[in-house]
Amino acid sequence: MPRYLVERAFHDGWDAGGDLTEVCRQILERNRDEVTWLHSYVSDDCKRLVCVYEAPSPEAIRRSAARNNLPVESITSVRVLDPYHLKR
Amino acid sequence: MAFTIQATGPTGELLERSAQLDALGEAFASAREDGRGRLVLISGEAGVGKSALMRAFCEDRAESVRVLWGACDSLFTPRPLGPFVDVAALTGGALDEVVHRDAKPYDVAGALIRELGARAPTILVLDDLHWADEATLDVLTLLGRRIDGVDSTVVVAAYRDDELDVGHPLRVVVGELARAEGTSRLLVEPLSPKGVAVLAEFMGVEARELYRRTEGNPFYVTEVLGAGGEAIPPTIRDAVLARAGRLSLHARRLLEAAAIVPTGCEHWLLEQLEPEEMGHLTECLASGVLADDGMTVRFRHELAQLALEETIGPRRRLLLHRAALDALSKRPERELDPARIAHHAEGAGDVEAVLRFAPLAGDRAASAGAHREAAGQYGRALRFAESLSDVARAELFERRSYECYLTDESSEAIEAISSALDLYRSAGDRLNEGKALRWLSYILWCPGRTEESRRAGWEAVQLLEPLPPGRELAMAYSNLAHLYLAACRGGEGVKWAQRALELARSVGDVETEAHALASIGIVEFDAGGKEKIEESLELADRAGFGEQAARAFDLLAEVPVETRAHDEARRYLDQGIEYCSIRGIELLRLYLLANRARLELQEGRWEEAADTASAVIRIPRTSTSPRITTLSVLARVRARRGDPEVMELLDEASLLAERTDELPRLGAVAIARAEAFWLAGDHEAVLDSTSAAFELSKELRTPWFCGELACWRRRAGAEEPVPLKVAKPYALEIESQWEQAATLWSSLGSPYEAALALAHSDEPAALRHALEQLNGMGARPAAAIVARKLRERGERSLPRGPRPATRENAAGLTTRQQEVLALMAQGLRNAEIAERLVVSQKTVDHHVSAILRKLLVRTRGEAAARAFELGLLAQDR
Repeated sequence: MPRYLVERAFHDGWDAGGDLTEVCRQILERNRDEVTWLHSYVSDDCKRLVCVYEAPSPEAIRRSAARNNLPVESITSVRVLDPYHLKR
Repeated sequence: MAFTIQATGPTGELLERSAQLDALGEAFASAREDGRGRLVLISGEAGVGKSALMRAFCEDRAESVRVLWGACDSLFTPRPLGPFVDVAALTGGALDEVVHRDAKPYDVAGALIRELGARAPTILVLDDLHWADEATLDVLTLLGRRIDGVDSTVVVAAYRDDELDVGHPLRVVVGELARAEGTSRLLVEPLSPKGVAVLAEFMGVEARELYRRTEGNPFYVTEVLGAGGEAIPPTIRDAVLARAGRLSLHARRLLEAAAIVPTGCEHWLLEQLEPEEMGHLTECLASGVLADDGMTVRFRHELAQLALEETIGPRRRLLLHRAALDALSKRPERELDPARIAHHAEGAGDVEAVLRFAPLAGDRAASAGAHREAAGQYGRALRFAESLSDVARAELFERRSYECYLTDESSEAIEAISSALDLYRSAGDRLNEGKALRWLSYILWCPGRTEESRRAGWEAVQLLEPLPPGRELAMAYSNLAHLYLAACRGGEGVKWAQRALELARSVGDVETEAHALASIGIVEFDAGGKEKIEESLELADRAGFGEQAARAFDLLAEVPVETRAHDEARRYLDQGIEYCSIRGIELLRLYLLANRARLELQEGRWEEAADTASAVIRIPRTSTSPRITTLSVLARVRARRGDPEVMELLDEASLLAERTDELPRLGAVAIARAEAFWLAGDHEAVLDSTSAAFELSKELRTPWFCGELACWRRRAGAEEPVPLKVAKPYALEIESQWEQAATLWSSLGSPYEAALALAHSDEPAALRHALEQLNGMGARPAAAIVARKLRERGERSLPRGPRPATRENAAGLTTRQQEVLALMAQGLRNAEIAERLVVSQKTVDHHVSAILRKLLVRTRGEAAARAFELGLLAQDR
């Protein structure tokens, strides 16, 4: 499955708008059949979110964003580079 | 065929299946509640207990509702419509009549839907779909597309997902159906260690080892328990054989006889195969290897049958097949089943019987729409055809070629017709040689082998012209016309189409008449040609030539798509897609969908354009034209939104397009490339990727292609003469009349094109307006270009891009769905909405149910309320 880096911008700062565990659970539930949210990085001021997803296509990323009412600044197709587990 | 696997606990209920049973029950309950049918697709590995699950579901309800059960056979070439023949035997009536008169899948689906609706509530079970013949899959597709209109019915369809390779036709069907309204999927998983432990304890076996070996496969588990030995056999096959090994030699001989009959073996047949051993049937039944429904004995599971069949020695196998052949071919005429007989004839190595029954089975499968099976039967006959005359073999090859073409086995189809061609040639049969050449030309064109296709097309005409004029020549003329039109050479195309038309009319060939008439119509579209295509449509539809009628719809839509007459294009596309959908005309449906994707892109409906294009791309047909179109559309949507994986799509499209050497293909890819490169700021690449297509479009004088290509080249800095005859909005852009161009684009309903035209202006106000428009559409790359241009001109305080979390998209509604929702909230009926938006009511119905689903509501009123709550509608409307 291709992997994508999704950048999101929140001009007024991101607010989960509820209990974080519950919000994440709902997002996972809504994404269930189409994309896999791996993890995210949130800037200290909460204005930028960088999320890593597995998805079949960029369109699937956009659909998931729309379903969850999240903005998309850019989508980049990426591969993993893990410095500790490089194959010789 | 997979009989109940008894992975039941001590109290007799199915182990670990209550969640699945609940899901099935819920689907059925909601179908009864709202009167809209449901389809549940059940998948799981072989032996996991799909049939057992469905049986349990049905048993709980059999008293209060009607249960219909049909299964597919594991014959090498299954009976066409197998499961529906089973079902029809239960229902009788019109459905029974239809399945026995070689009706088309469209008719079968219609009769089935009427039958289901007439006696609701009904549970319809379709088992073992991984073996389904093509006609069955077509019926399933048609049923699935209309399931929400079938009152109080649940259709439960099961298949093995571990046996579907990538190209399996069922994959495509499941892929499409899974997205349809009213469809859900259910996965049946192996038993957990805990479940296996319950059974092991019940039978006194070591649980952990049993789980490790069987991985929780219920059939394997019950086989091991049934064999009852100390050691656990290492494979399912060994477990089956160990179990059978406990039977007497006589009983085993009877088992072997039953194992060579793939559909289940009738008592009378078994008796003829092993008359001596019939007394041991009770022993086989008692052991649980066979099951008996009073008429037919079957293996409890197909895995057991296969395992046993493999152990039969070659000599004995041959004798058993011979006995089966003998018994089956002596049945009364009405009961003769050529597919079954051909199977045993091949097993018995009986050349004469294969040559007699395989073509018959092929014809029957073909007329039922089971084209893959038909091709298989003709292929079977050809393997035994050495003794036949050249012409007789050529005919078989010809029939096989046609069936392969219909199932999109393009290279097989070409190979078969080439063999036929050689045989006709050596037999000196020039009429049939010419006819075969015409066919070869057409099937070479579909996968984009244009050069060879043209050569064969010309040869066909040259060969047939000296012969007395007839249908073959008319078709050859019409084929040439089609080849010219596909390359945008309308002048020559019309000439050949005229000849085809005259000849077709004089010999009374309606199909070619419709084909030629539509070809003439597309060239003279604005000068009365449209009416000719409509006439062709009517002619073809009335005479039952669905493919020709569908082609007419596509041509009727194609010109308005190109000239941006969007309302007209949408009307024909809606009608055409509906026409193909309910009749199962798949290839032309893809052409129409590809044109719809273009339309949606031009209208700035990117979400929809990407959806439509992806749906076409997912279907692995070898016909290149719709694929090239949709790859280009999807690439342009991605480029406009700044999304990745644009060039990958265009590289594939380009590879396909170059071989065709046809402007519509080459132009689509060149334009998509130009747009992507321009957005990336690589102007040199824009010029490089468009030069060949631009030259060709000038030579062919095609105003829209030429205009669009010229425009992109100017945007990339080319200073070159542009032909006079280019389409109006492009002409305005080329004359640097940016605002006029933008106004015209807006009035044509193309907002992105309008914004791009303004983006080339030098007026800060126009640029600001373009920036605002582009931001509103989420067109980041183009917006960035305009913003830079503004900053270079010293403009400050520019808007910073699209509003975060665009409100209008809150529930994931497309722009079209929002429009529909707004009208719904005003209390308009679907028919009124359809009129307002110039779409068919069917389309509105689909939008409305998608809206209800996305908003998680059940009624229109609730939808409106929820929409206000979410801020999807402006309060002041």
